[in-house]
Amino acid sequence: MLIELLTRLRFLIARKTHREVDEELQFHLEQQTEANIAAGMPPQEARRQAIIAFGGVEHAREECREQRPGYFVETLLQDVRYAMRGFRRNPVFTITVVLTLMLGIGATTAVFSVVDRILFRSLPYAHADRLVSLGMVQSLETQEFVMGGFYYDWRANQKPFEALTSEGATTPECDLTERNPAQLSCASVEGNFLATLGVSPVLGRDFLPEEVHPNGPKVALISYGLWLSHYDQDPGILNKTIEIDGSPIRVVGVLPKEFEMPRLQAANVLLPMAVDETADRSANSGFGQPRRAFARLKPGVSIEQAQAELQPLFQDVQKLIPKDIRYDFHLKVRSLRDRQMQDVHLTAWVLLGAVLAVLLIACANVASLLMARGAVRGRELAVRSALGASPIRLARQALTEALLLSLVGAAAGCALAEGLLRLFIAIAPAGIPFLDKAQLDLRIICFTVIVSIVCGTLFGLAPASQKPAAPMLTGRFFTAATHAAVRQWLVVGQIAASLVLLVGAMLLLRSFSNLQNQQLGMRADNTLTVSITLGGHNYPTAERMMVFFQQLQHRLQFGPGVSLVALSDSLPPADNHNSARYSSIIVSGRPPLTEGSGGLVTYRLVSPEYFRALNIRLVQGEGFSEEQLTSTDRFVVLSQQLATRLFPERSPVGERLRFGAEDPNAPRFTIVGVAANVKNGGLTGEEEPEYYLLKRNRAEDWEGRGVWGRTSVIVVQTSLPPDTMSRWIRSQVATLDPTLPVDIATLRQRVNKLADQPRFETALVGLFAGTGLILAIIGLYGVISFLVTQRTQEIGVRIALGASRGNVLRLVMGKSLRLIVWGTLIGLLSALAVSRVLSSLLFSIGPHDPATFAFVTLLLVLVALAATLIPARSATRVDPIVALRCD
Amino acid sequence: MAPTTDLLQGTLDLLILKTLALESMHGWGIALRIQQISKDALQIGQGSLYPALHRLEYKGWIRADWGASENNRRAKFYSLTRTGKKQLEAELADWDRLTAAIALVLKQV
Repeated sequence: MLIELLTRLRFLIARKTHREVDEELQFHLEQQTEANIAAGMPPQEARRQAIIAFGGVEHAREECREQRPGYFVETLLQDVRYAMRGFRRNPVFTITVVLTLMLGIGATTAVFSVVDRILFRSLPYAHADRLVSLGMVQSLETQEFVMGGFYYDWRANQKPFEALTSEGATTPECDLTERNPAQLSCASVEGNFLATLGVSPVLGRDFLPEEVHPNGPKVALISYGLWLSHYDQDPGILNKTIEIDGSPIRVVGVLPKEFEMPRLQAANVLLPMAVDETADRSANSGFGQPRRAFARLKPGVSIEQAQAELQPLFQDVQKLIPKDIRYDFHLKVRSLRDRQMQDVHLTAWVLLGAVLAVLLIACANVASLLMARGAVRGRELAVRSALGASPIRLARQALTEALLLSLVGAAAGCALAEGLLRLFIAIAPAGIPFLDKAQLDLRIICFTVIVSIVCGTLFGLAPASQKPAAPMLTGRFFTAATHAAVRQWLVVGQIAASLVLLVGAMLLLRSFSNLQNQQLGMRADNTLTVSITLGGHNYPTAERMMVFFQQLQHRLQFGPGVSLVALSDSLPPADNHNSARYSSIIVSGRPPLTEGSGGLVTYRLVSPEYFRALNIRLVQGEGFSEEQLTSTDRFVVLSQQLATRLFPERSPVGERLRFGAEDPNAPRFTIVGVAANVKNGGLTGEEEPEYYLLKRNRAEDWEGRGVWGRTSVIVVQTSLPPDTMSRWIRSQVATLDPTLPVDIATLRQRVNKLADQPRFETALVGLFAGTGLILAIIGLYGVISFLVTQRTQEIGVRIALGASRGNVLRLVMGKSLRLIVWGTLIGLLSALAVSRVLSSLLFSIGPHDPATFAFVTLLLVLVALAATLIPARSATRVDPIVALRCD
Repeated sequence: MAPTTDLLQGTLDLLILKTLALESMHGWGIALRIQQISKDALQIGQGSLYPALHRLEYKGWIRADWGASENNRRAKFYSLTRTGKKQLEAELADWDRLTAAIALVLKQV
């Protein structure tokens, strides 16, 4: 083997000369001639016979040369040189193909890289495909949860799972109370949490059984991030005691760098959920504390099977739920991936569809261009074949060209993909998980490059593989007819695909503009909002929280340029706010409403200035007043929607309400006003009825109510620029408590953030639709102008015979019109079928919106006609004399 | 003239190696020898002999040296290298196996 290699290398360096081979062959012929003469032939005949016996001398010489090592590379270089010369001669063709490939490969690669992270990323758990999230859902909580009251029974009696585990329903703020204090998030998890997920600490160990007992030793696992930021990755952290919320806790392990909580929430510290089972079962009036449960399916068990097997356990639980709301509770088991990704799925699939359409259009373009080139080069191929080029050699030449184009296109495409990816990350909303970690994936690049090479090769080879017919040598184009038909169908397909893309983009665009221009029912400009969540250790009582926010409000009131300060526990139009059931509202002097009807009602706890700060009009009554802040009575303001529902006939002001049907002694609230409706279910959600409770200066109003109990948002009206103001506000918060994280944004920013996702979708699909349209137009233009060139002679004859410009124009335009009509028809039908997929992404516009369809069709037809006008006009300018003389 | 047989693919290399095993020879001599020994049954295209010779040379199985022919002309003489000898043995063994197997099949069927 080695000797063979060395020999080849030697011959590669010291080549045999042509003369050497010639001399050898010459010797052979002479020997044979002499032998023939010796056999009695006359000298001339002897030489003739010798040559006949030898066969083709030139052929043998060629074959000897082909044996040479490096011959392959030599011809390859030759092909490349030849191809390059061809490209230089025809720069428009070259640039079009490369640009097409660049757009196709670039867009595809960038989107695949994004979608890959969303749809196909591997979760950082062992055998993550067997992990599920389970529990029950209801309209107040649409993410599955379990309660301590029945969780233990499920854990003991379930069959489909290898292991079942849970974490606390919330991951509360906790404070690191050491020399370097900080607010952290502490998740409490069951002892088998990490084992179920298949995660082991990078340092130290998992929780021990005795540590999960209520009276066990206090231990914690810390996140890699916390280890890095606070303990300099010092392995000595193990068994060291840190102080969390004032109590000493021993660190027993550090979580892996890539570890993430199954619900993706931030958590710096994992604490063992040390609860007493009997106590937990009876807590919360017999329901137990809420938790989030996760499980590992037994091998071979599907999610549907698991759901079915859990059904009997769920039916037992349903008996505990009050009859009137029982219908609202359902069992839900879904894969952990679905739990994490929620409805981002749909966006990802829509993007994938759009990008595949673009790739198809791009491939069709490349194919069509190469075929046109092949047809034009029919004569050249025929000449080369006549000069002795073998079919394989011709095919190799074509292949080399296609590969060269694909490679250049792929390189440009990768550069474009990198740029696009950065753009995506810049405009993407925070709601799309892991997008910021998306990067160009080698597999994806390979995939797109291979796709482009395959389509280039396939269509590049097609013309070369046909045996060039002799008539081709005359230079007249006869055989292009079949190719032309294929190319026309390709154009029809391109037009159809870009119509679908355009319809999708236009629907999303109109939906987005509806979203942006809707009435919010409040003022979002010149309004700064400050959101602060207080930790349970530093602010253990409602009293403390009230004092903090009152002090802060007081400081802000006298700030520079501040005209108004208000406080609430949540802000519209986002849909994260407290909710209650409509049926829990009971008007004094009326029987309770029918149970289990009426849906949900939003409520907020606000300060008196809230309505003025957000410019929400009071339709009736006076609203809250400063005096009521210290009153022992309770007051409520209804939204107009709620007021008309509760009191259809008369004014509600002065009426009294209580909340909660079960408790007849619940405090009564006096209605002091009706406020105009405000968008409160997110930008796309339905407007819900709403009521406002006055947050008085009494500790009882600051008790944690719902999830947002520890958070307050202060609304500041100011004439100063937001940047200056937020710096000042930060300094004010820091003087009160330097460890508190503060989230400051203008209300306009918070509203815009809600529109991030639709903006992202619209921008991307719009980008693809534009790309697709441009590519399709290039394709159409190419086909029509090729047809015109091909028929120059015929057109010349027609003009010579008296055809007018109009006739010629009609001839060419008629042809392209047919392609456009077919493409549009097919496109419209597919768009009608496909656009339904978008319906859940659309806001107040139907997926079959006639105006959108009409507009897009018109746009496409007009642009397409414009693209064919240029070749059509040049057809009318054909000079019959020139046309007839050529060839 | 005896009926000629087309050469099996790849057997030309074997024939060349076997011919050169006895002594070094120039191309014409090889062609002549194969024809003579096979009693004219194997008529190899003389033209296709040279590409095969070059191929074997590039592989390092045979080597070429310029020398003087019988009638004192400058000619290229080919001889087996050490690798070539090994290769010949291997190819002969292969050939025996193949013919034996084919013969077996032909007798059985």
